[in-house]
Amino acid sequence: MSAGRSLAAARAGLPPQAVLLLPWALVYAAFFVFPFVFSFVLGFMQYNPLNVGASRFVGLEQFARLAGDRDFLQALRNTLLFVAGTVPVTTVAALALALLMRAPMPGKDLFKAALFLPSILSMVVVALLFKLFYAPGGALNAALAHLGVGMHGWLTDPRTALPAIMAMDVWAAVGYYAIIFYAAFTAIPRDLYEAAELDGAGAWASLRHVTLPLIRPTLAFVLVINTIRSFQVFVEVFVMTQGGPLGATNTLVLHLYETAFRRLDYGYASVIAYTVFVLSGVFSVIAIRRLRPQVGPEGAR
Amino acid sequence: MKPARALRFLALLVIVAAMAYPLAWMLALSLRTPDGTSLRFYRDVWQAGPFDRYFLNSVVVTGAVLAGNIVVCAMAGYAFARHRIRGGRVLFFLVISTIMLPKQVILVPMYILMQKLGLIDTYWALTVPFIADPFNIFLIRQYLASIPPDCEEAARLEGAGEMTILFRVVMPMIKPALAVVAIHTCLTNWNSFLFPFILTDSTSMRTLPVGVALLAQGAHSIDWGHLMAGAVISALPVIVAFMIFQRRIIGGLTSGMTR
Repeated sequence: MSAGRSLAAARAGLPPQAVLLLPWALVYAAFFVFPFVFSFVLGFMQYNPLNVGASRFVGLEQFARLAGDRDFLQALRNTLLFVAGTVPVTTVAALALALLMRAPMPGKDLFKAALFLPSILSMVVVALLFKLFYAPGGALNAALAHLGVGMHGWLTDPRTALPAIMAMDVWAAVGYYAIIFYAAFTAIPRDLYEAAELDGAGAWASLRHVTLPLIRPTLAFVLVINTIRSFQVFVEVFVMTQGGPLGATNTLVLHLYETAFRRLDYGYASVIAYTVFVLSGVFSVIAIRRLRPQVGPEGAR
Repeated sequence: MKPARALRFLALLVIVAAMAYPLAWMLALSLRTPDGTSLRFYRDVWQAGPFDRYFLNSVVVTGAVLAGNIVVCAMAGYAFARHRIRGGRVLFFLVISTIMLPKQVILVPMYILMQKLGLIDTYWALTVPFIADPFNIFLIRQYLASIPPDCEEAARLEGAGEMTILFRVVMPMIKPALAVVAIHTCLTNWNSFLFPFILTDSTSMRTLPVGVALLAQGAHSIDWGHLMAGAVISALPVIVAFMIFQRRIIGGLTSGMTR
């Protein structure tokens, strides 16, 4: 649709750069800027989806509801636990895998492929696989039975449900970040290690004083994007537990979904959306700053 | 083999097994039917699922979003890289900012907007909002900034218009960037769940991930055989593409992450 329209605009005498930007600008304005602003307005409203005329502004009333909403507080707590639990584990495990990959070995491509594959699969499929894996008759319980450990409903016990989902998330994400770290490692000049070795540095010392400092920018970026992604955890719990048992795996985005599309409480749902926005916003700012130096006149890498 | 090397090799084998095991399990369950190994579950979900329709929808949506992104993002990326734009830096900063924002913020307003436009449950709702992915604009702009504008200027001197230059001169030059755009866009949209789920409500408009997720919710007790067959159908195109283009996909999705 947009190409035809912009050609029409070209004939109307718009400067070429305006024509080039027009399709993007239209889509961006209609399906990002407008919903984004509308979402903010909704947060101050009692929006009636069945009779928009009956909607009214309620000031900060919706925001005040957050503090007394026990489901929200539980979802907030779970989301923070999820982020704090998965991001460091994924990062350290990815670093370890990347270090392991650095040594020469047969079948490295197969190893890289096996590590990477889960990260390009739909989270719906991954979540289903693990729902089965954790099920009472599933593979995990079968394996534990061999070790003499009794059967456990990993996703039906409130104490183990969230950690089980977190473990799955680490499994699904670790390979992707390991490959990124591995790429960062290969960019480090060999002679730096040779110099460190001449100075008598062992494997541990050269890791601490050569490798880690040099991949620090990559490390920071990985931490930030994984944190932003993890604050949005939804599909996992939607497919595996629907937030249960007893809200033990309820997350902010699941609570947002339930509030908006099960209770049709759009105004309050927008307020919940904004807490996700603010929480990950801090990390977004860091990420954007990392990208920004390349935006200047010397934009080329 | 030295012991350290053997140990490392063993560790790698264990890890590969841990990564591959759940996928092998998925395949095994989808093929193990009451009457032995057969494709019966596949036939069932393909016809009654109806996964033939979900598959078609996923192909149409992913294809349309990809085509849209190639055109729209090439145009915008070219403009940001090569043209003087008033407020261009601010605009490009806005593009970058949107890459990092949680999309859930616009979920509810997007739903209301599509409802008011009467587009819920149409291909329009599943495609148009996603044809200007800011990450793609960023990629193309950065790639263009790294190559000199000589060819374009030569074409311009010969009197070629901007659209001709973009499609005849620039597009062939930025093929590597467009390949990354294609990988990123296809994977994101093929696997996308939340927005397609919210923006459709009839069985005939669901995409594969939504169809699979709903199959998992529908029954009182889960019918794993059929469910895994559905999961394999939705994952197989990705796995096959990955087997063929492994290096390009890994390279494309991780490039630019290390700086």
